[in-house]
Amino acid sequence: MGNILIVAEIQKGKLREATLELASFANKVAGARGGEVKSLVIGSGIGDLASELAGKGGGEVFAADDAALANYNVDAWTQAIRAGVEAAGADLVLISNTPTGWDVAPRIGAALDAGFVSDCFNIEADGGLTLLRRIFNGKLDARIKVNADVVVATMQPGATAAYEGTSDGKVTDLSVDLSGVRSKFVEEKQAEATDVDLTKADIIVSGGRGLGAPEKFKEVIQPLAEALGGAMGASRPVVDAGWLDHPYQVGSSGQVVTPKLYIACGISGAIQHLVGMKGSNFIVAINKDADAPIFEVADVGIVADLFEVVPALTDAIKAAKG
Amino acid sequence: MKIVVFLKQVPHSDARLDVNGDETWIKEDGIKFEINSYDTYALEEALRIKDAGEAEVIVVSIGPARVTQALRTALGMGADRAVHIKDSEVDGSDSLGIAKTLAAVVKAESPDLVFAGLMSDDGNFSTVPPMVAELCDMPSATSCLKIEASNGSVTVERELEGGAREVVELPKPCLLAVQTGLNQVRYASLKGIMAAKKKPMDEKTAADLGVSGQVGAGAAKMTIEKIYLPPKGEGAEILSGSTDEIVSALVGKIKEQGLL
Repeated sequence: MGNILIVAEIQKGKLREATLELASFANKVAGARGGEVKSLVIGSGIGDLASELAGKGGGEVFAADDAALANYNVDAWTQAIRAGVEAAGADLVLISNTPTGWDVAPRIGAALDAGFVSDCFNIEADGGLTLLRRIFNGKLDARIKVNADVVVATMQPGATAAYEGTSDGKVTDLSVDLSGVRSKFVEEKQAEATDVDLTKADIIVSGGRGLGAPEKFKEVIQPLAEALGGAMGASRPVVDAGWLDHPYQVGSSGQVVTPKLYIACGISGAIQHLVGMKGSNFIVAINKDADAPIFEVADVGIVADLFEVVPALTDAIKAAKG
Repeated sequence: MKIVVFLKQVPHSDARLDVNGDETWIKEDGIKFEINSYDTYALEEALRIKDAGEAEVIVVSIGPARVTQALRTALGMGADRAVHIKDSEVDGSDSLGIAKTLAAVVKAESPDLVFAGLMSDDGNFSTVPPMVAELCDMPSATSCLKIEASNGSVTVERELEGGAREVVELPKPCLLAVQTGLNQVRYASLKGIMAAKKKPMDEKTAADLGVSGQVGAGAAKMTIEKIYLPPKGEGAEILSGSTDEIVSALVGKIKEQGLL
């Protein structure tokens, strides 16, 4: 039985929560099937973070510490992870399904001719490896059986709790051959500041593809938002289509919001959107599809035509306010 | 300049999803198919590069006979040539098997750029494109929201979380997996659709590509054991009744939250 290697990710100088979630998964799997948990931290000046991970379920932590690794680079990470897998004697590699993870993990899967499954929300390791994930933008769940000498899986951030407790681990230096690096990190650009800051809104009324056309936002969503004294938001497809600008986008690649009230109109609830609003205090979902994943996170659901319900709701709110 | 674009034909986004008899996929009879939304942005980007200068755009897709419709649509939008990998031996491939199949096409075509969608609307795996890049020994970048191709290199903006972006420069040849919203996708013109009928559509088998024995269900290291509707759990309190009754109940709940 080989070992389990978790690949850490650093964000703003700290270990990502998602990395500690990998530690949870890895230790759970090691408990079920055997093998040791080991980790890989890639970056520059990351000794402290490597020690921290060693104490948080990371086991022996391989530190690929080099000034050339200060910023993410697909070629450098591919080399570093390959070196880490070999050093760790790993036959299971866990990576978080983040923009970095989905960029590099498949390359590792191909390089190792591995069984590869992405964006998993759970792993079962009794009698072989089974990975659970969602398909069709969250509408269906899938159980995937993996049968391979080496398995690479990316785990959905937030799918489990961070590793709890402390552990003993050591830090081992890992040298990485960076001679074949072809791509070049230029810079990281932050989102531009705008007037639209949904993170400050107490009430958000969001519209999705179900609105059907850009003018419907002005006709249907905006009046309800205004009647409630709230802000207007949107799901990704709306912004992709150019109906609204990016600052209105609620989701993992837009705004993550936690208002007191979130009303989702014509939004099916793809995981990227749910990540952006499931922390809201009270969620109302209006969608004509009873199986829409949005109903999984909603407190109140209305399975109906939003073009009937929303205008009626707007009128009722106005009447209630007098 | 030669650009290869991967296309996947997927169930239409509004198609009814009924789990099939052995619960391993959805029932495909009677549903409509379309080009994977992410791939349409990849194709559009290739066509924009073609519009701006000399480029040959080759679209590639794997699947049964119905896939020709997706490829003809792409040809109608302006692609020059299509490659249809139509071989039951490829059925049941895992992502690696698909990647090996597409990598064989890329190696045969030797393009300057390979464009793909970040993920498919059905499997949502976001796996095949970077795998192909690794198998073809070329650099890659995923979640591209801006692409600037100049003579020797390409500069892309990758989408990160919270609206941030990572700017990366890659030499050619390279593979780019694009995010939705990269551009505004064109419709095929009537003239384009007519011209598409005469554009070349080559059929290939696994044997033609030299990947026999490496693809398909037999070679797959991951298999779908079962798919199912997610368990409902506590879920939402579903309001029912007439529109008036629903609205009235909802206003009541909003009041209870102290927000009116």
